[in-house]
Parts: sequence; C-alpha cells; structure tokens
Amino acid sequence: MPDEFPMHDPQKIWQDQPTEAIKMSLDEIRRRARKLQTRGRLAALLTIVIGLVLCVFFALTAAKPQELVGRIGWGMLSLWGLYAAYQAYKWTWPGTLPADATLSTSLGFYRGELERRHDYARHVWRRAGLTFCFAGLALVILPALIGAFRTPRLLLNVAPLFVLLVIWFVVFFSMRRRNQRKLQREIDELKFLEEENRS
Amino acid sequence: MVSQDDLYREAADGYGSSLDRLARAYEADPETRRDLLQDIHLQLWRSFAHFDRRCSLRTWVYRVAHNVATGHVVRQRRLRTSLVGIEEIESLPSKERNEFAAGQNQALERLSGLIQQLKPLDRQIIISYLEGMDANSTAEITGLSAANVAMKVHRIKNVLKRWFHEGGPNAG
Repeated sequence: MPDEFPMHDPQKIWQDQPTEAIKMSLDEIRRRARKLQTRGRLAALLTIVIGLVLCVFFALTAAKPQELVGRIGWGMLSLWGLYAAYQAYKWTWPGTLPADATLSTSLGFYRGELERRHDYARHVWRRAGLTFCFAGLALVILPALIGAFRTPRLLLNVAPLFVLLVIWFVVFFSMRRRNQRKLQREIDELKFLEEENRS
Repeated sequence: MVSQDDLYREAADGYGSSLDRLARAYEADPETRRDLLQDIHLQLWRSFAHFDRRCSLRTWVYRVAHNVATGHVVRQRRLRTSLVGIEEIESLPSKERNEFAAGQNQALERLSGLIQQLKPLDRQIIISYLEGMDANSTAEITGLSAANVAMKVHRIKNVLKRWFHEGGPNAG
C-alpha cells in the first residue's frame, strides 16, 4: 500500500480547490478600514446613547414626587444607565488589532484570547453594573411588594415573575461556572504546551 | 526600505489564494467568510507597519491570518457547537467516516467540515500540513515545538488516511 493516497490526496484536493483570491487595491483597503471603523463607532455610539437615554429617563422618574425608597431606586437605575454607557464606550469602541496579534505565535495569541474571554466572563456582573440594576429594581418594587403583603392575591399574581427570576439566576450562574471551567481547562492545556516547548 | 503598501502587495500576490483557503477552513458561511477574508487582508495591511523582518514574510502572513481567524472563532464560539481536538476526531465512528466518499467537491466539503470542527491550534496545524508546509515552518507560526507539530501531523495524516481510504472508492 502506498504511503500517500493518490486517489484522494487531501493536500491536492485542498490546494486545488477553486479560490476567488480577493484583490483589493490599497485605496479599497484604506476605504474599508475607514468604513469598518465608522461602522464600529456607530454601533458603539448607539449603545452609549441607549445607556444615556435610560440614565435621563430614570433620573426624570426619580425626580417625580414619590416615596423616598422609590426615588433612591430610580436614582440607582439612572446611575446604572450612566455606568452602562461608560462600559459600552470602554468595551465596544473599536480599536485596532491587538498588538500581540502580529508579535505572538498562534499558541500565545489563542491563549491570550481565551484568557481575555475568561476574564470578561468572570467580571461580567461588575462590567454590566448588575448590582446597580438589581438594587435599583429592588428598591423600585419594594414599596409595591410591601403593599402586596396586605393583599395576598396581588402577591400571588407576581409570584411567577419572582420564580422566573430565581430560575434565571440559577441557570445563568451554573452555565457561567461550567463555561468558565471549560475555558480554564483549555487555557491550562495551552500553558502546559507552552511550558513544554520552553523546556 | 520597503513600504507597508509594497509589503502588502507582495503578500497579497504571493499568498492571496492560501488566505482564501485559510478563511474557508475557519468559516463555513460564504458571506461571513468573505467578511473574515477582508478582515484578514485589512489587518495584514495594518500589520505591515510593524514588520521588522525578524521572521519570513510567509511566517508573518500566516501568523497574522491565523490570529485574526482565531479571534473570529473565539468570538463566535458561543454560537457554535463545541470544538474538538484531533485526538477526538480520531475516535469518530466509522459510519461518519464512510460518508467521506465520492467526488472531489464532496471530499473538499467534508475536509473543510472536518477542519472547522477542530480547535484553533489543531486547525492551524492541519491547514499548514494541507498547504504543504514542513514541521519547522508550522512550529514557527504556531509556537509549538517542531517535535510536537510532527506528532500532531502524524495523527492528522492517520485521520485523513482513514477518512479518505475507508470511505473512498478503494475501500474494502
């Protein structure tokens, strides 16, 4: 039996595949670079504007005459809108290719990307400002909830919402933990390979 | 001194087709693949502002292209089924391997499908092998040792041999 496979040589099949090697002129490349940056900026701007609009809306609601607890709640939600806008600017504003994309080997770059993802997922709660969001929401609905204790029928009506919220929390955190473990395993494997190559 | 534009032109002329094939190995959807390929070209052009000739042009081109494509895979990861290593592909049931049969186009589709299931590092090694690179060149791009690459290539060859032979016209 021959060492290679003449009838179906994978290398030949791979290299003979029809390609439509794109020919972009340098002007075209520069135009696309500008366009890509503009598109990225517009998408980031949209998220920032949404955050700011929410901030103003919640602040206006907080200014309306109502109980102090409710006001604090709306105020916190307004802060959350502002924080979300800042985070959107920080994380979605288009940058250039990470510096290590050209300097690192594929192994190092891939590990770096996974670590960035791992790090992002680990801090997603803080980065999304979910503490502000949930604390604000809790304070907004607290007066209504206390009122509902006097009318159990009303409490029963909102119970499914709370059950869904608890389920969401459980699913969110267990999925996050599972993904984090998976990512960490892969990062460790890559680190091991890097160390092996160094020694 | 060679300018950024000249370097890009040289790279696009010399490796344009290889980059197209590389994009195919990373993205199945034709529209997204086109975007990915354009992004690779764009980032390649940008990268030449920092090219210091510490490695060959080919190594630089592949390194940037693989890194851009890997970034794409990592970003898209949540949307896809999980990726596997070449070791797991080795243990796929033969029924699936037998579907590898028939014409060149179908074989190419299956080959691309096989590559797209792999984790980025294994994907880079199989692409380098299919492009006809030796273990040392692949090691320079990926950062793995040449021995490690050679071992992986050996595995890849075995997998491809089984996929092509057992399901191919010579089977049996």
